Amino acid sequence: MYQSKSHADNATIFCRDENRVDWHSKALWNLREKRDRAAASVPEWEQLRQLGSEIKLHTLSHLGDYLCQFEQKCIENGIQVHWATDASEHNQIALDILSTHSVKKLVKSKSMLTEECHLNPFLEKHGIEVIDTDLGERIIQLNHQPPSHIVVPAIHMKKEEVGELFHQKLNTPKGESDPTRLTRAARKHLRDQFLSADAAMTGVNMAIADLGAVVVCTNEGNADMGVNLPKLQIHSMGIDKIVPDVDSAMVLLRMLARNAIGQPITTYSSFYRGSKVNGEMHIIIVDNGRTDIMQDKILAESLKCIRCGGCLNTCPVYRRSGGFSYNYTIPGPIGIAVGAQHDDSNTIPWACTLCGSCSYVCPTKVPLDKIIAHHRRLKAQQGKLPFGKKYYMPAVGKLMSSPTLLNCAMASARLALNVIPHRLIKPLSGAWGQYRELPVSPTSSFDTWYKQHRASNKGQNNVS
Amino acid sequence: MNMKIALFIPCLVNQMMPDVAIATLSLLEKLGHQVIFPQGQTCCGQPMTNSGCFNEARNTTLKLLNAFKGVECDAIVCPAASCLVAAKENFHEFDQSQEALDVINKLYELTEFLHDIAPISGFKNKFEHTISLQMSCHGLRMLSLATPSESMGPQFNKVEAVLQSIPGIKIVYPAPRDECCGFGGTFAVDEGAVSAKMGKDKAHAHAATHAQYVVGFDPSCLLHLDGMIRRQLLPIQTRHIAQIIDAAL
Repeated sequence: MYQSKSHADNATIFCRDENRVDWHSKALWNLREKRDRAAASVPEWEQLRQLGSEIKLHTLSHLGDYLCQFEQKCIENGIQVHWATDASEHNQIALDILSTHSVKKLVKSKSMLTEECHLNPFLEKHGIEVIDTDLGERIIQLNHQPPSHIVVPAIHMKKEEVGELFHQKLNTPKGESDPTRLTRAARKHLRDQFLSADAAMTGVNMAIADLGAVVVCTNEGNADMGVNLPKLQIHSMGIDKIVPDVDSAMVLLRMLARNAIGQPITTYSSFYRGSKVNGEMHIIIVDNGRTDIMQDKILAESLKCIRCGGCLNTCPVYRRSGGFSYNYTIPGPIGIAVGAQHDDSNTIPWACTLCGSCSYVCPTKVPLDKIIAHHRRLKAQQGKLPFGKKYYMPAVGKLMSSPTLLNCAMASARLALNVIPHRLIKPLSGAWGQYRELPVSPTSSFDTWYKQHRASNKGQNNVS
Repeated sequence: MNMKIALFIPCLVNQMMPDVAIATLSLLEKLGHQVIFPQGQTCCGQPMTNSGCFNEARNTTLKLLNAFKGVECDAIVCPAASCLVAAKENFHEFDQSQEALDVINKLYELTEFLHDIAPISGFKNKFEHTISLQMSCHGLRMLSLATPSESMGPQFNKVEAVLQSIPGIKIVYPAPRDECCGFGGTFAVDEGAVSAKMGKDKAHAHAATHAQYVVGFDPSCLLHLDGMIRRQLLPIQTRHIAQIIDAAL
């Protein structure tokens, strides 16, 4: 059976091109810096985060009530609501709706949920053409790649590479890499798609329970262009997208774009609460493993996430290993939090130094580092430890718990480091010596020093 | 205010960086505290618990805890932030007794002790060098030694506050200011390529400040950075905060 590569192996390949790593890391760090400036411009930023966290916790702990209220309000607004247990149910519901209307071409606006459900290949298999209409999404769709980031999905591609792709697919001049000209070409190409589409589909940033409305945020207006042209509109949302009311949504909206890319708000933040005249509006509400996650108190907090991508931008590991190294649709810290159970290489919870930067960046205070550490514990309990830990950790545990053994082992190690040339030890020291010089070794431990200098003549050595 | 202090010397410091432990002992004595070193200390269990292996960590953690149980002292001070955090968490994980809680409540990282509990003053010797501060993650984000760059909350910096009255010292920061150095315990070998790239970037960022020393409160990060700095042949050296303070007292 095919098994995914470990995150470390994927990352090692990514790291071979150091210039590219530097470029990738810097591009994302720029977003983090913009975020810092935007957050600092809001005096009550930390209160907003606290409020955001509490709103999400409250909603999640009354999830059933709010979902039912939402459905009720939607029905009153003339919206058709569908419930999907998992990805395949979601895809089948979408296909049924589209088939009923004989849809040949669907324009889609950004939705990580439909990526998670692998909707595009499913619909294409059934003869429906799917066009992703966000510029970044369209780029990677033309390049036959999944997103490498949840907000800036084509961040792994340089403008020259986009230029070459557009030259091949959209007939732009060879060698054209000016972002403005490329964007114009994409705009013209997408305009034709919008005008010839039979239906539109979007993701959902927030669903407002007491209003029966969904909120869709974009900078390009592509969701609105899509939804407002054809008669049929479909919105897919995870059950975690629900918020009680408009006030709650506003708290999250004030942080979403600021934390994502340092922008006060997305250019378009559209509320949809009913179909067009003679049109149809459908909402598909999807679980796909979310209620399972809610069974674990620590993992449940990952459902507070509003998908701003801030944790990816700050993550030192994500920036240096790329979005395709995580074996899951969503990469980075939040990808580990919600994707670790799907990772058959059982390595992604270890693609993290537990530095905690993500948890401080998060606008709803998802304790990402705690969740990632918890995933390691769960993997250990399931006997799914990577990197040989299953075999060497018990030995390390024994060694560390015995001062005598540890002293002997470390005395030998210090002796070796002092007398054997380091070039002979390096090959035996694994990744440590491959990338670093070996430590300059002291002649003795502090224990020994203390016994020689203090313990005997001062009598300060107490309990043993 | 003189106190009776028990030293908590993590295994890495004990075995590989005894100078840091000696400097810690020396500076606390110079400040007039009575310092003891309880015997029988082992590893805090962090390499195992951070790998998810809690069963394997239990014995060593409880042995370390036992070394401090019933020891008469006002504070237990440790010159390694990451180990201190792990000890606190792991002691609590494996022993919820009042005796364990008494130990946990006395645990302090060296910087926070010198800032919060027995504020340091009276530096006699000059230290006329520029130092680039290594704001290691666990001390920064779990012990709140300073406001992390991500936070828009009240701004404070205990590390700078402790060091800044040393005559002649100049404190600078690498850019980015507090990004992880890439050590991460077993991460350094499990994810060798990314760890090394993070370490290399951090080593160059410190060197770019033209400081003479990288100074930090977490010995394991310093050990990793030292290996990177020497591999990259950069003109900067690592020092633990205890060594700087001890020399200035």
